Amino acid sequence: MASHFSGVLQLTDLDDYIGPSQALFLFQECIKPVKVEKKPGKAAAKIRIEADGSYFQINQDGGAQKLEKAKITLNDCLACSGCITSAESVLITQQSHEELCKMLTFNKTAAPNEQKLVVLSVSPQSRASLAARCKMGVLETAKKLTAFLKSLGKCGVHYVFDTTFSRNFSLLESQREFVKRFRKQSEDKKALPMLASACPGWICYAEKTHGSFIIPYISTTKSPQQVMGSLVKGHFAEQQHLTPDQIYHVTVMPCYDKKLEASRPDFFNQEYQTRDVDCVITTGEVLKLLEQEGVSLSDVDPAPLDTMFSSAAEEELTSHSGGGSGGYLEHIYKYAAKELFGVQVDAIQYKPLKNKDFQEVTLEKDGVVLLQFALAYGFRNIQNLVQKLKRGKSPYHYVEVMACPSGCLNGGGQIKLDGESSKDQLQQVERLYESLKTEIPEKNRTVNELYEQWLGGVESEKAAQALHTEYHAVEKTSAGFNIKW
Amino acid sequence: MTSRRVAAGNVAMKEALELLCRVPAHPDSRCWFLAWSPGGGLLASCGGDRLVRLWGREGQGWSCRAVLGEGHQRTVRRVAWSPCGSYLASASFDATTCIWKRQEDGFECVTTLEGHENEVKSVAWAPSGTLLATCSRDKSVWVWEVDEEEEYECVSVLNSHTQDVKHVVWHPNQELLASASYDDTVKLYHEEEDDWVCCATLEGHESTVWSVAFDRSGERLASCSDDKTVRIWRRYKPGNEEGVACSGTDPTWKCVCNLSGYHTRTIYDVAWCRLTGALATACGDDAIRVFEESASSDPRQPTFSLAAHVPRAHSQDVNCVAWNPKEPGLLASCSDDGEIAFWKYQRPEVC
Repeated sequence: MASHFSGVLQLTDLDDYIGPSQALFLFQECIKPVKVEKKPGKAAAKIRIEADGSYFQINQDGGAQKLEKAKITLNDCLACSGCITSAESVLITQQSHEELCKMLTFNKTAAPNEQKLVVLSVSPQSRASLAARCKMGVLETAKKLTAFLKSLGKCGVHYVFDTTFSRNFSLLESQREFVKRFRKQSEDKKALPMLASACPGWICYAEKTHGSFIIPYISTTKSPQQVMGSLVKGHFAEQQHLTPDQIYHVTVMPCYDKKLEASRPDFFNQEYQTRDVDCVITTGEVLKLLEQEGVSLSDVDPAPLDTMFSSAAEEELTSHSGGGSGGYLEHIYKYAAKELFGVQVDAIQYKPLKNKDFQEVTLEKDGVVLLQFALAYGFRNIQNLVQKLKRGKSPYHYVEVMACPSGCLNGGGQIKLDGESSKDQLQQVERLYESLKTEIPEKNRTVNELYEQWLGGVESEKAAQALHTEYHAVEKTSAGFNIKW
Repeated sequence: MTSRRVAAGNVAMKEALELLCRVPAHPDSRCWFLAWSPGGGLLASCGGDRLVRLWGREGQGWSCRAVLGEGHQRTVRRVAWSPCGSYLASASFDATTCIWKRQEDGFECVTTLEGHENEVKSVAWAPSGTLLATCSRDKSVWVWEVDEEEEYECVSVLNSHTQDVKHVVWHPNQELLASASYDDTVKLYHEEEDDWVCCATLEGHESTVWSVAFDRSGERLASCSDDKTVRIWRRYKPGNEEGVACSGTDPTWKCVCNLSGYHTRTIYDVAWCRLTGALATACGDDAIRVFEESASSDPRQPTFSLAAHVPRAHSQDVNCVAWNPKEPGLLASCSDDGEIAFWKYQRPEVC
């Protein structure tokens, strides 16, 4: 089975020689030792593994008893350095469009006080991919998708939001974090370069492969998905007079790695035993849902958009400038130029380096470089960046790092169109993504109000909690066997 | 073949491959691989003792001219010379590749290439000298580019194989890369726009492919495998006279010969002499064999015959065979027994 994860997560530390100790390993490709519980009884029982991977306990009388198969949770995977890819089967059982359907079915039959409010947040990258697939405009796609989701499984999803809104917070927090780091660069050697934090493929790779070396450089700002998680399970839940666990929050993302992000223990609410984002489905899985229901999105009657977390007036969608991966570089660059050097930047000149996925932006004044930023997309460019950092040869102050070549619009979860080259498809999706009017996060009134009312002001403790996170180095464990070749 | 003819053949074969000298190159360890310098004057060897050694001729024998230590933490699996002969790359199980530069008084490690997740299995320099390829147990093949300041940058990470990649080798005069894997296939890659892509998969071997070698022209490729066969593949360009189907503008590599029944165990290495066209193999049955192509053979269906066979060439698995690039018939081999053997090969007249 081909992996769906971003290229970064496809490099795996798997062994091709199945050693005897792997008798205890659950998945053929997983090296995490998992205890298989033996049935009580005589001590000298043996365990036999059948070709299908099931475990049998062989008793002394020769009889065989099937054993419970131990389950690996996503958290086990994330905490293990055995392989970089976490077992796909685990994700598929825990986070899929089928899980969403299950929740909707549950709501149909459950007692009213047990029912959950279902909130679905769609990423702008996914919306653009769906629009390209259905040959519609972005706004029309958004309205029809809202209508479809609200009618799904009869009782449907209750609210459909747009993660462009939560991205305002991610951008604003990244901007401020950068300026703070820039100002303390002489005391703190690892303040710069600040590395983007929105891409979970990159984060997972960084934690597992370069651990404590790289983590201090990574921005602590949460991704739009996780800010949306805080908003929905925090502010929105309060407004609805619900506890966080009474809301089922689903996001639609261009990328499988977002499932890993949502599963991080950092985004789990211990008090209510609930995640900020309960389930992540990819754009492709939304298409599967449509197909499963026999619905063609273009035939759906449009519904008005939910405006609670929308940026602009009703009947309008907005976006951010700076490209399909969120525009982090561009926003931070402009803000920092103004804030640190009093320079107003209107247009940004990108300079492609080795390839189109590695570009540089430089702010100069009187021949002196004031700011030097870069985009580094895809595994090969991430590699070169990390190696440069290790050798102390990185000239950058900020790098927008993304695991996928061409960034998020080209995410592994996006829809692949039949009979079209991937390049043409990507261009269509980019064109649609860029068809919206862009907004400036500082000027969004609702965002400013939320800082005051929900978070108690910019830089407050609550803002830090709701909008920032931390990273954890995963210790390398040595596989328990040596290989000759 | 009757038994009498086998016996007669063996006599001729022994004469065909004559032992010149043996060197305990990596004592108490394995000797994994050998690489002749482009000028043919130096032989580099690497081993389980984490060392690279350089050997030069001295009188009738060969002596160690340099030891390249302290570069690696684990076994050095493969060494490769740059086409100019000024650099040597060593690939190690410690997940790194070291680049050694020739200095006045020896070799110095100037760069360590990191990035592979685990054991690096092979390394090879492109004919231009500006590209380097590495492969690893992490299933990936990496292409690196070196600039004038000796800075190495990764230009591509290729994840086409589904298992451990054992070997990488470049085409003799084009920027075409071949890799061999535990997934039983050989894959070829070339550059397209600003990235490298897999442009052919050679399927046919029934087990791990351990090594591949291009012939002098680069129109043919030999691969050797755990399935005890050597296969010869030939390139057919789109619109070829023979009518071999190609998809789009990419050539097709078709298996035109399968040497089976000669080897009794895994074949670890194959070397195609650029001077004489002789094909040597290193086998897990401790033997070295040399095959010759019949002069009259049809290029679409070439026939190769066994020209030399030394059953106990080493006391353990033979890991590598390497033809000297300047001196026709000079062959070096190395083994799990830690030794290097030097052989003089002469094409037998009966062949």
